[in-house]
Amino acid sequence: MNMQNPLARVRGKGASGGGSHHWRSQRYSALILLLLTPWLLLTGVSLAGADYSAAMAAMSSPFNAGMAIMLAGTLFYHTQLGLQVVIEDYVHIATLEFVLLLVVRLACLVAFLISAIAALKLALGA
Amino acid sequence: MSSSKRPMSRPMSPYMLGPYYKFQITSLLSILNRLTGVFMAVVTAPLLLCWLIALASGDAAFAGLSAFLGSILGKLVIAASVFSFSFHLLGGIRHLIWDAGWMMEMHQVNLSGWLAVIGSIVLTLIVLGTGL
Repeated sequence: MNMQNPLARVRGKGASGGGSHHWRSQRYSALILLLLTPWLLLTGVSLAGADYSAAMAAMSSPFNAGMAIMLAGTLFYHTQLGLQVVIEDYVHIATLEFVLLLVVRLACLVAFLISAIAALKLALGA
Repeated sequence: MSSSKRPMSRPMSPYMLGPYYKFQITSLLSILNRLTGVFMAVVTAPLLLCWLIALASGDAAFAGLSAFLGSILGKLVIAASVFSFSFHLLGGIRHLIWDAGWMMEMHQVNLSGWLAVIGSIVLTLIVLGTGL
């Protein structure tokens, strides 16, 4: 006879294993990316085909550096959340799914770190 | 789980796109939003990262990346990235509107879908026209 409380038996065993945190995080990061879109488009268009010195001049401004780091953080976070859903939807081999989710998380974290360090280096003129 | 070792051969409903169902813009745009997102995750975001790395690495690295971006393949990648960005942007706005509980009637969903298609093509042409 199972003496466990029914609530204790089902807790943590839902399909997602979590609540609405992922869903909300995806929306909040989308909203921040939406706010950053005008800067991204204007900077991208103005730097299209730019030579080294013009690109250096643009990215050495503290405003552009801050926006780039904010964009990198939000973008790679949103990317991780999105790829996670795609993997969870289509990869049904438990081990492969686990490994892929880990790889995506690590790759997005490393991509953000490198972006932030590169943007800082450009802004500080090191 | 007694059934976990047996192979699953249960009947499945046909895939939403293809000859089995009447064409719906909603299902096509749904998968397109996901595809553009994956494309940007795999191609566009790494390209932006490479641009920053090249710029931080110096003149020679930046010249190398600029040469690639100026080639035919580079221009194709940029065009596909700009379209993916435009479509995912407008598709994402649709999702945010639905999340607020608005525009959920079928005729509104179809209308916003066509607006997203036209808008993403227009935005792509504007960005490519002013930037390239």
